[in-house]
Amino acid sequence: MAWELILWFIFFIINIALLALNLYQIICLSDLESDYLNPYELASRINAVVLPEFILQGVFSVLFLLKGHWFMFLLTVPITYYHTMLYMNRKHLIDVTEVFSVLSSQKKYRIIKLGFYLFFFTIVIVRIFAAGILFFNRSEFGELDIRSSVLEF
Amino acid sequence: MKPMGTENPGRPNFPARSAATPFAPASQTSMPFLSSGPVVGSEASAFRPTPPTAPQTSMAFLSSGPGVGSEASGFRPSPPARSYGPSVPPPPPSYVPPVGGSFQRFPTPQFPSTAQGPPTRGPPVGQSVLSPPMQPPVGQVQSPPVSLRPQQLSSVPMGSPPQSVNFPPSSVNVPQAPLDSSFSAPRQTLHPSFPPLESSYPAARTTLQPSFPGYPSRQSNAVLQAPSVQSPFPAHQGGYAPAPPAPSSPFLAHQGGYVPPPPVAAPLGLHSREQMQYPGSGPPIGTIQGLAEDFNSLSLGSIPGSIDPGLDSKALPRPLDGDVEPNSFAEMYPMNCNSRYLRLTTFGIPSSQSLISRWQLPLGAVVCPLAEAPDGEEVPIVNFAPTGIIRCRRCRTYVNPYVTFTDGGRKWRCNICALLNDVSGDYFAHLDASGRRIDLDQRPELTKGSVEFVAPTEYMVRPPMPPLYFFLIDVSLSAVRSGMVEIVAQTIRSCLDELPGFPRTQIGFITFDSTIHFYNMKSSLTQPQMMVVSDLDDIFVPLPDDLLVNLSESRSVVETFLDSLPSMFQDNVNLESAFGPALKAAFMVMSQLGGKLLIFQNTLPSLGVGRLRLRGDDLRVYGTDKEHALRIPEDPFYKQMAADFTKYQIGVNIYAFSDKYTDIASLGTLAKYTGGQVYYYPSFQSAIHKERLRHELARDLTRETAWEAVMRIRCGKGVRFTSYHGNFMLRSTDLLALPAVDCDKAFAMQMSLEETLLTTQTVYFQVALLYTSSSGERRIRVHTAAAPVVTDLGEMYRHADTGAIVSLFCRLAIEKTLSHKLEDARNSVQSRIVKALREYRNLYAVQHRLGGRMIYPESLKFLPLYGLALCKSTPLRGGYADAQLDERCAAGYTMMALPVKGLLKLLYPSLIRIDEYLTKGSAQVDEFKNIFKRLPLAAESLDSRGLYIYDDGFRFVIWFGRMLSPDIAMNLLGVDFAGDLTRVSLCEQDSEMSRKLMGLLKKFRESDPSYYQLCHLVRQGEQPREGFFLLTNLVEDQIGGTNGYADWILQIHRQVQQTA
Repeated sequence: MAWELILWFIFFIINIALLALNLYQIICLSDLESDYLNPYELASRINAVVLPEFILQGVFSVLFLLKGHWFMFLLTVPITYYHTMLYMNRKHLIDVTEVFSVLSSQKKYRIIKLGFYLFFFTIVIVRIFAAGILFFNRSEFGELDIRSSVLEF
Repeated sequence: MKPMGTENPGRPNFPARSAATPFAPASQTSMPFLSSGPVVGSEASAFRPTPPTAPQTSMAFLSSGPGVGSEASGFRPSPPARSYGPSVPPPPPSYVPPVGGSFQRFPTPQFPSTAQGPPTRGPPVGQSVLSPPMQPPVGQVQSPPVSLRPQQLSSVPMGSPPQSVNFPPSSVNVPQAPLDSSFSAPRQTLHPSFPPLESSYPAARTTLQPSFPGYPSRQSNAVLQAPSVQSPFPAHQGGYAPAPPAPSSPFLAHQGGYVPPPPVAAPLGLHSREQMQYPGSGPPIGTIQGLAEDFNSLSLGSIPGSIDPGLDSKALPRPLDGDVEPNSFAEMYPMNCNSRYLRLTTFGIPSSQSLISRWQLPLGAVVCPLAEAPDGEEVPIVNFAPTGIIRCRRCRTYVNPYVTFTDGGRKWRCNICALLNDVSGDYFAHLDASGRRIDLDQRPELTKGSVEFVAPTEYMVRPPMPPLYFFLIDVSLSAVRSGMVEIVAQTIRSCLDELPGFPRTQIGFITFDSTIHFYNMKSSLTQPQMMVVSDLDDIFVPLPDDLLVNLSESRSVVETFLDSLPSMFQDNVNLESAFGPALKAAFMVMSQLGGKLLIFQNTLPSLGVGRLRLRGDDLRVYGTDKEHALRIPEDPFYKQMAADFTKYQIGVNIYAFSDKYTDIASLGTLAKYTGGQVYYYPSFQSAIHKERLRHELARDLTRETAWEAVMRIRCGKGVRFTSYHGNFMLRSTDLLALPAVDCDKAFAMQMSLEETLLTTQTVYFQVALLYTSSSGERRIRVHTAAAPVVTDLGEMYRHADTGAIVSLFCRLAIEKTLSHKLEDARNSVQSRIVKALREYRNLYAVQHRLGGRMIYPESLKFLPLYGLALCKSTPLRGGYADAQLDERCAAGYTMMALPVKGLLKLLYPSLIRIDEYLTKGSAQVDEFKNIFKRLPLAAESLDSRGLYIYDDGFRFVIWFGRMLSPDIAMNLLGVDFAGDLTRVSLCEQDSEMSRKLMGLLKKFRESDPSYYQLCHLVRQGEQPREGFFLLTNLVEDQIGGTNGYADWILQIHRQVQQTA
């Protein structure tokens, strides 16, 4: 059960990283909007973190699958799929020449993604606590604890 | 006469008046009529005589047009009707008599008054006068007129201003108005079933009347609506004044219900009919065009097998006078900048979001900040040296004629944000009694809409750059073979003296094939030194300091280089092109200073970074979702390079020459994001295209250019520009970066409301272009314009500017082809036109019961035609086979930058018959404007005995009719006139006629120097050249699967009605 806790802790770290990357991009975009940033800088900043984010997200998703949390995996599939699509169509990077025409849609897309990540964040937190409680209190309640079956989805 | 009479009651109205008069008393009317046109008069007279109602209906149909006439006959079940068709005038008579009687009786007293009134006083008077006439009818005739009255009356006050504007058209319409009105009634009934028509006719009338009575009760409503009503009229305004009489008369005669429509509808019917007859009489078509077209026979569906479009193609509006700018606002706001700098799609800015959403057309502006001004109207230059430039503290608006000075001249109020600013001591001047500054006369920035400020150092991030020209020339086998290198070298050499910015001008060259050649042209050398770099993966620049040299210092070296360039590579057998690496090298050389990069490219880039595939034109891709991918750059390298070029103030112009696919879509990106342009010479052969390349390159090199420029357009609170369209790159949300910009570039932008409701009366726009002039001075060119805020949709439509709308449409459609299918782009154009017309129709159709008529505002009368032309333009037309992919893309890039006038000419080119002018001999070239009349762009306009010239601003096509007298051909072409025209080039022969023709072409070319029109000679029946050069460009014809003009109108009309 210690592995369980460690695993969820890894998820937690990845999730924090995803959230941070995403927030960073959103902030860059709003900076551009309010003219604190020029398009060249914006493109180089965002494009530098796009691929890391995609990879991280892929790892996040695959780890769920490997660990057998198929329901959590299913929840991450939409984002993974969308990322793959963008990458395959070569549309994942910001086009510096057309930044302003895609600005609002890019921002919206990232905010929606932020919502997803926040959702995972809450789940991961819950699971960490659950795993922690199970780990530290296992002796008391044993395998019969009803909470374990509820949380083990 | 132009439709836009605007405020001149005198001129424009006259025709109208004459027309109006006819209505009232027969005798009187006839008189005026005759004056206006003999034909009409005859018509009118004919009119009265014939009593039968049945003919009337036929008339209506016929009204659609003579040409249509035969088809119309198909419509009608009864042959007699048909017979009428040909001779339109007779039928009406039958109808009229009854009407005429009543008509004459009551109107006589009133009308005379009207007739006199309007002429003397002007439109407003005319209306007021008119209203009285109406009343008598009411008393005598029936209730219907009454209903009319309210509307018209109400309209009178409102409408008066508008009327003045459009008078001329109205005049035309007036005469017919009676006819139409009468017809219209029948028409409505007609739709259901033909035979019943006549019988029903009376019935219809009766029924109509009841409705009218209802009207009076509603009068209050009517009155309320009146404003709206007016607007329609105003649109036609011309028609308006006269219209009132027309309606009244018709009403009396038959249909009460009809009343309101008459003004609108009547004109329609009139036009079509009149035109048929008029041609003889002479009034130009332009005047005839009214608000709407008569579509009475549109209900074709009920008659199986009939294909009668029911509309006279001759009656359709055509922009044969070229671009007509609405100028009423120049009078309303005399301090606005000239419309060549800024044109709004409508000069009535909507006051609310809901109005915007109902105004289905783009709301925005087209800006051409450096447009060439005719002599005497140059933009004044103002130097605020001691004071610094006067700007609003908050919104950074530049001082302009619309700011107001208060507090004895110590403060000024910003017209855009209403902030009170202090006037600095140096700029202070006392105010006179009326609140004007006493030094107003010496302050062009306070009296002129366009001024140029000399910018102090705060406006520079670095010392002003010198004009810099850098040439990147392809010297591969095909480039040398085609003669391109030679012509380019010669042209550049001949332009060295005229390059702007002497003595600071800098110049440099790189040539490339599979390697890159740099040239050291240091002034201390006698011969240029060539360095070859063949490592394409890791480009480096040898001697980075001596590749760009000062032209005046290194003049002799540069000349030596240009003289030897063609011979240096004449034996080059290299087929490859290391374009990408060469581009990078050029970038490295230029990035210190910026400037203008001219790329001469002949071979598809095949080596190094940025190489392109022969992705070609794959037939199978068309119609699929991947179609658009052909039109966007294949390799992100080009976009990246374009962005970098802009960042370092480098503007790129592309000259592409290949006879094979060169992927203009990718190359053009470089020009698109750097404010440049694409010149495309497919299959360049120096023998044929020499002149064109020479002229266009010379113009590119010598025209006044603004360097390292940025442009911003500011506007009043509550309004915001949201999207920009054209060749530039956005540096921030509203800042256009333009590394090199000149007078041939225009930019379009769309705006939206930030607030749901605008509370101000006026919205101000200010375009500011900050640039470095060739002389090395930093300057700000400021254009200011004001536009009123309106609360009425009709008003917006009335003040619409077709040219600006088409320009925006064009840019939006071309942008759409980059992400959608061509089909989708065309459909979006069509659907927006349909939506706009439907909205307009909804404004007026219900209260006017327009039934089957198509109505549109006077200001937008050419919109459908331009829409059609746009759908048939090179970037949007057809599918795979209709245009080469490269041509499509090149035309797309060109049209994205064209100023309004050039674009309209390209969309609806002029077609002029010149053989008479050539043979007549006596006419002065100077008055050729009067001699040459632009013809409709249809095959019907071409007479096989004639000689025609087709001019779209980019090329001439001279069309030799099959039966053209051989004398003319021989005089123009020399002895081999019967030979193959592809090989004959037009040059001056030793004959008067030939000299005249060349003089003519010269004259045409001078009217638009931004491009050189190459002359193509085509003989009638010589396929496929004739088709390629001329026939596919006759936009009014049915070509391939596309609509002709009449069908297009019909289709639009159906769609407008379908979902109305």
